[in-house]
Amino acid sequence: MSVKVLTDTFPTASAVSLYNVTKIFTQWQRDNSGKGILRNLIKPEKKEISALSDVAFDIKQGEFVAYAGPNGAGKSTTMKLLSGMLLPTSGEISVLSMSPQKQRRELMSKLGVLFGNRTELWWDHPVIQSFEWKKVVWNIPEPMYRENLEMVTELLDIGGLLKTFARELSLGQRMRADLAMMLLHSPEIILLDEPTLGLDVIAKRQMINFLKKINRENGVTIIVTSHDMDDLEEMAQRILMISDGKVAYDGDFDGLRKITGNLTRVVLTTENGFMPKLQNAVLLSSENGVHEFEIDLAKTPIKSLMRLLSELNGVCDVEIKKAPIEQVIASVYSSWE
Amino acid sequence: MVDKITFTRIIKLLAISAKMDLAWLLRDTKYALAGIIADIISNLSIVSGVFLISVRFGGIGGMSADEVLFMMAYSTLVTGIFIMFGSGNNIHISRIIGRGQLEHLFTQPLPLKVQLATCGFCPFTGGGNFAFGVILMINAVNRLGLRISLGWLLSLAAYLLITMAVIVARAYLVSSMAFYAPVAAEEISYTAIDGTWFMSTFPLSGMPLFVQIPLLTILPEGLMAWFPSLCLLGRPPLGLSAVYPMLYAIILSLIAGYIFRKGLNYYVSKGSNRYVPYGFRR
Repeated sequence: MSVKVLTDTFPTASAVSLYNVTKIFTQWQRDNSGKGILRNLIKPEKKEISALSDVAFDIKQGEFVAYAGPNGAGKSTTMKLLSGMLLPTSGEISVLSMSPQKQRRELMSKLGVLFGNRTELWWDHPVIQSFEWKKVVWNIPEPMYRENLEMVTELLDIGGLLKTFARELSLGQRMRADLAMMLLHSPEIILLDEPTLGLDVIAKRQMINFLKKINRENGVTIIVTSHDMDDLEEMAQRILMISDGKVAYDGDFDGLRKITGNLTRVVLTTENGFMPKLQNAVLLSSENGVHEFEIDLAKTPIKSLMRLLSELNGVCDVEIKKAPIEQVIASVYSSWE
Repeated sequence: MVDKITFTRIIKLLAISAKMDLAWLLRDTKYALAGIIADIISNLSIVSGVFLISVRFGGIGGMSADEVLFMMAYSTLVTGIFIMFGSGNNIHISRIIGRGQLEHLFTQPLPLKVQLATCGFCPFTGGGNFAFGVILMINAVNRLGLRISLGWLLSLAAYLLITMAVIVARAYLVSSMAFYAPVAAEEISYTAIDGTWFMSTFPLSGMPLFVQIPLLTILPEGLMAWFPSLCLLGRPPLGLSAVYPMLYAIILSLIAGYIFRKGLNYYVSKGSNRYVPYGFRR
């Protein structure tokens, strides 16, 4: 991929800005009774759903941002708004200082979009044919195309797939080929909606490593949604959480842990079947002398925890680790309900 | 900077579609040939049926058998162009709209018009009817003893363009319903065009006015082959001017453009509540 120095040249330049963006959808309502069907003919009942409500945030160029939230929170809607597929009901959107609505064509030459449940590949053609089609449609200069093709072929390990028909690829292979195709025009911003959906461990790892690499080395701004919070934490430096169409959290993952009480896991390994008791901690599991506790460091500071641990007899190993982000997010989601 | 849409760029876009079409033909030759032959047989059976009736009865409604053959040749050329440029659901656009697939087009750095005009070009697998149309036209012209000039050839090209404009405008007009009712109207373009295609090959000469006039206005089947053929033969029917098809095409295109844009605005405002993962590409 053509190396960009955007983050060096414009370290604070804005990649994406949303100013008080609201998106309202209308849903048809109808009960199944005969009366309801008749009433629907005369005066259909509609319900307004606010997918986004006064959402505002700013993402700098070169950032890797996780965009998370429960089902129906407005993640995909945001992705569609950023890529010009939808118009906001109100508010302003700027992507690379362009309006997705008014400067769609110019923006699309600098933006890459990938929806995990869709493919841009030509179904009845080999992968390389789709790539060549993209080269013409995006008017990619030959040297850039060659350089990017070589890069994605190597990093995404798709050399063996180039001659294969898209319809014959496995899901993981298709996602890699789609990702490769998306990168051929050297996009400055990448929007990924559930890119790891349905991928196995190896395919997921390849994708995550690749995304981290192009963000780190080429300064590509990446915004990614996923339901897999562990993946998001591994990839992104910042997490924007959305709930009921509003930004509920914007910061790093450690900060997110803190708002749930700084939950921490303590794993104690004991000898001779000794069962330790840890004050203010909840025992999560106990098996073969390995006992896992959950403790809130906001209530029991680390000094106190160390003291409590030192007072325990029969403990031969101690491991203190952060609570899995999945659990933290689940707590956050529950608190929103 | 957005790259300019030049003539060269359009040719390149058509060329990549043609290249992919050729690749498909050479890769799945058996299936491709089967498809091409089926298309040709289907169209020829329609036009030859009408032609055989005209031979049996010494013409239809004041048109000689050779004039009917000329009209059939024109109709075959129209079918050929339709298949050659519209094989990617880009003319039957209600399918793309109804399946929530317009978003695939929005992510391309090209105007929608350019994408739609170039993405369905398949001269190799879709050119069979056009080639047969040319052969039939040469044959009909010879039998009629027409003197072919450059002006006449340009008129033929212009009428073909006008007929295509009417077809596309009608398809886009009815397809606009799919913006509002994606499931119910997904196939509406196919129903509207192919459902009445057979009528477009029937010579309307000699038919009563209450049949002819609706077929030149409400349902423009008379403009698909009958009216333009008689104009090219130098005798526009019903005392109408030879520019009537052009006026009709312009008015219909303006209406269709307006309605389609309204639908498109609705689509990007409301979003599509449906997405089907198949069939947006060949």
